[in-house]
This record gives sequence, C-alpha cells and structure tokens, in this order.
Amino acid sequence: MDFLISISEKINPLQSVMILSFAIFISSFFVMSERRAVKRFIVMLFSVSLILAFYLNIYSFVSAGNFSNVLLSFENLQMIEISIIIFCALNLIFFISTYCRDNRHFIKILSIFLFSTISAVFFVLARNFILMFVALVIFILVIFQLMTVLNSKTDRIKPYIIGFFLRPVLTVILFFFGFSLFYGATDFKDFNQVIQSEYVSNPLIALGLIIFIVAVYLYLFLFPFQGPYIRLARRNEFSSNALIWFSYFPVGIFMLMKLDGLLGFFIEKNNIYAYILLAIAFICITAAGIGAFKTNSLRRVISFLFLFFIGVFILNISMFSAGIITGPLLSWFNIGNIFLIIFSFMPIYSIFSSLEKNTNSDSIDNIRGLGRSNIYLGINLTIIFLSWIGFVHHVGPFIKYFSGTNLIQIGILKLMVLVVTAIAFIFLLINTFRIVIQFFKKPLKDVTEKIVFPRFLYIYVTFFSLVILAAAVWGLLKILNVDIGIMNFEIAGF
Amino acid sequence: MNFQFIIYFSLLVFLMGIFGIFYNRDIISVFISFQFIIISAVINFLSFSQFLYQSSLWDEIFIIFGIASIYFLMFCIICYFYLKLDLLDREALNRDFILFKVVRHDWCGEDEM
Repeated sequence: MDFLISISEKINPLQSVMILSFAIFISSFFVMSERRAVKRFIVMLFSVSLILAFYLNIYSFVSAGNFSNVLLSFENLQMIEISIIIFCALNLIFFISTYCRDNRHFIKILSIFLFSTISAVFFVLARNFILMFVALVIFILVIFQLMTVLNSKTDRIKPYIIGFFLRPVLTVILFFFGFSLFYGATDFKDFNQVIQSEYVSNPLIALGLIIFIVAVYLYLFLFPFQGPYIRLARRNEFSSNALIWFSYFPVGIFMLMKLDGLLGFFIEKNNIYAYILLAIAFICITAAGIGAFKTNSLRRVISFLFLFFIGVFILNISMFSAGIITGPLLSWFNIGNIFLIIFSFMPIYSIFSSLEKNTNSDSIDNIRGLGRSNIYLGINLTIIFLSWIGFVHHVGPFIKYFSGTNLIQIGILKLMVLVVTAIAFIFLLINTFRIVIQFFKKPLKDVTEKIVFPRFLYIYVTFFSLVILAAAVWGLLKILNVDIGIMNFEIAGF
Repeated sequence: MNFQFIIYFSLLVFLMGIFGIFYNRDIISVFISFQFIIISAVINFLSFSQFLYQSSLWDEIFIIFGIASIYFLMFCIICYFYLKLDLLDREALNRDFILFKVVRHDWCGEDEM
C-alpha cells in the first residue's frame, strides 16, 4: 500500500495522463478488430478512463495542492483547464462513436483521439518552453491525423484540410521564432520567470510577445483569416467539426491565457496596446456577428458564433487593460466563457447535426417549426440558446465601476470598452433570437415532423439544459444574495 | 563575425519568409517560406547562445526538439498532399493557392459547394 501511495505522490499531476495512457495500451491489442462488441468495449473503456482521469485530476489537486518543477506547473487554473479538456474529450467520444461507429478504423481513431487529449493535457501542464512547444506541435499533428482519417470518405475535402492545417503550422513556426527572441532577451525558460525578471521590459520580449499574439490569432482563425476554417467547417464530416470546436479551439484559448500575465504587464506600461486590443476585439465580434446573421447555413452560423465567443476573450483582456476588471476576475471571465461555449454548443451541435443527417441539408429552414413538432427538444434548445444572455454578466463590472461616477470623467478607453461590449451584446441578441424564432415558426414543409431523434440525444440535451438551469438559478440566488448553504465560495473580485 | 550583422541577417531571412508566405501562389513555395522563418529562428538561437550565454545546452536541445517536431508536422502534410490528393485537387492547389486568401463569402453570404 505504501508503495502505491509513493507512486501516486511521484506522478501527482500526471495521474490523469497515466490512466489515459493505460487505456491506450489496452486498446492497442484490439486495433485490428472490426467486431461491434470490441468497439463497444473500447468505447466503454475510454469513457471510464476519461471519467477516472477527470476524477484523479481534481483529486490530485485537492489532496496534494499546487505542484511545480522545471517542466510542469499544476495550479488551480491548470486543474480547471485539464478538467475542461477531459470533459470535452468525453463528449467527443460520444460524437465520434455516434457518427463513425461503422468506420473500419474506429478503434484506431479513438486511440489517436486519446493521444490528442494527452498532448493537450501536457500543453496545459507545461511550464518549460520546450515542453510547451513540443506538446503543441504534437497536438496539432494528432488533430491533423484525426481529421484526415475521419474525412477519408468525404469527397473533395483534401485541399480544405491542407489549407486549414497550414495555419497552425505557421503558428508553431512563429512560436519557434518568438521563443528564439525571448531567449535573446533573457536566459529564462518559462513565462513566470520572464515576468518576474528585470529584463521583462527588453524590446526583444515585446517583439516576441507580438509574434506570439499574431501566432495565436492565426491559430484561432480570427477575422480576416477565418476563410479555411469556415470553408472546412461547411464540408467536414460531423465529428471532425466537433473536434475543431471542442478540442482544437479550447487549446488555442488556453494558449492565449498562458500569455495573459505578460500581456497584462505590457498593457499597464503602454496604453496603446489596450486600444489595439479593443479594436481587434471589436472587429472580431462585429465580423463574426454579421457573418452569422448573413448566412442561412447552420454550420456556418455555429462556426461564426464560435468565432464571436473567441472574440469575447479578447474583449475580456480589453476590459482588464482598461482597468474595469482585475487580474483574477479576468481568469474567471475566461473560464466562465469557456463553460458557456462548451455547455451550449455541444447540445446545439448534437441536435443540428442529427437534423442535417436526416435532411441532407444544413439550411436554417431545417429548424423551422422544430419547437412545434418536438416541443420537448424545442424548449430545451430555447433554454440553451437563451443561456447566451448570460453574456450580460460582462456588464456587471461596468455597473459597479460606473455607479456614482460622472461618465465624462471616466476616460475615453473605458467608454469605448462599454460601447464595444454593448455592440457585442446586440449582435448576440440578434443571432440568438433569429434562431429561437425559427423554432416556433410555422414549418415550410413537414420536414421536421418526420425526423425521429434517437433517445440518447434526449438524455444528452436534457443533461446540458439541466446544468444550464442550475447555473442560472445559482446565479440568480447570488444576485439576490440568498445563501442556500451549498455554495459558500465567492468569486474573487465581485 | 559581428553579432549585429548576424541579427540583421536573421531579420532579413525572417522578412523573406514572411514575404514569401504572402506572395507565393503554390503550396511548395509556401513551405519553403516557412523554412526561411525556421532558419531565422535557428540563427537567433545559435547567435544568442554563442555571444550572450557562452554556448548553453538549452538552446541546442530546443533546436533539436523544435526542428524535429516542426519538420515532422510539415512532412505529414506534404505526404498527405502527394499521396492522398487526386490529380484535379493537386492541380488546383498548385496553381491557385494563396495562404491568406480573403474572399467575400468567407465572412458574409453563402459559400457555394
């Protein structure tokens, strides 16, 4: 027993990785099999291993606390980020097994997918520049392999996959160049050391940071570089789209969050960065909002709305740079935004993809009358869509900040941030109600009435809408200042 | 060799790479432009190591791991490009490929399939 405890202590932040690696090891004995029973066994094995990894990730943090060495850093934020990655992975297993269970390479796909989860976990855990870089490259490589194998039967998609993945390749190359500049400024090997050192204001660090931001910007396909992503999202196989949204993009967001500290330092020093970030946030949000409104393809609507929420991360940094929110609150805003994305987009995409599979079209007319023909799903989807109104929590700090002050005296930057947030909210509101109204319109044909959704989809969507309702009730109690005796922690900064 | 000259040379190589990415219209030239940026980064690493940090081991490890992983990724994409692409797609990629191509339907309107 002592031996097991000593092993557990030694692999403290990597317990989740060990479990996932063990699952891949077991699955490697079955990769050639095409029997349905074996496929079911592997899905069960991977699901259980992910649930166990999720538990061990939280357990190792609660039991052993923060962990840090030359290569790894495991703190509160990392624990939450890894939990998000594992939760997304669990849902992606659901998507892959729903849409690719008849694929000849099903078990291989799942094994490669678990590799991608492990490399994403390593990227989040990485403290050292080398580990961070290598984990990122391997993650992109594995995602590329997955995309190619998942789309092996899709016609005329190969140029789009290549066009898509050339961007992340450029991202890692720019990262390599950025690290070389950092190395010229200081001999330190991680971001924390750079922030704490006296060389932090070196121009090479500033140049390196700009290159990092450009690299992350390209990775996330923000305006005006969204072309390959939008084109691929329209043509992709169903589970590949889920892979981009719930695995590829979250890692990009965590990449951006790793740069928060350094970015904060330069923004405090020079106000011009704050104006540039605000302009970028405005452009991203407006372009994504207009793009989502002007299209009738459901896939494109979801893709643009995803870009909209990524633009919100930049808006959060702008709010931080304007002094409206504090550093800890910025992290909570980012995490809250990721939760909002995951808990809303997963059920929405599961329903929309099922609709598309039944109708062979991704037109927005497919959802017309869904709320009438299938009242249960219609109500659930309405709850999920209306959860985006939770975006209004961004206004909370403004109200606190502006209450009792004269609007003219607060400064142009803060007013501009307020205006951009208001515009973002208006675009989100327009897009949300555009879709919700479609649910309750009279259907064009009797298309939606003929569609029979699988039973597990009802369970899946109900789970998410219940979580969203619980979060809404909890938020309401928080606003009304009612203590129910279950949650007794306060979010720092509120 | 002068340290300043090396840094300027590295910057020039980097700018050549960036220019190539924007200017070139076929995928292989884009890959070559990528390699200009990689070479520029390697020059940076080696010159900083030589002149500032007395040839430390860290940058050499970074170069080995970095180059190995990036080239492996590029190799996979090139393999996919040549092995899995049918003739028409390959022609289309070779003739009319711009990495940062912005067309109207990418952000507004419909994308005809």
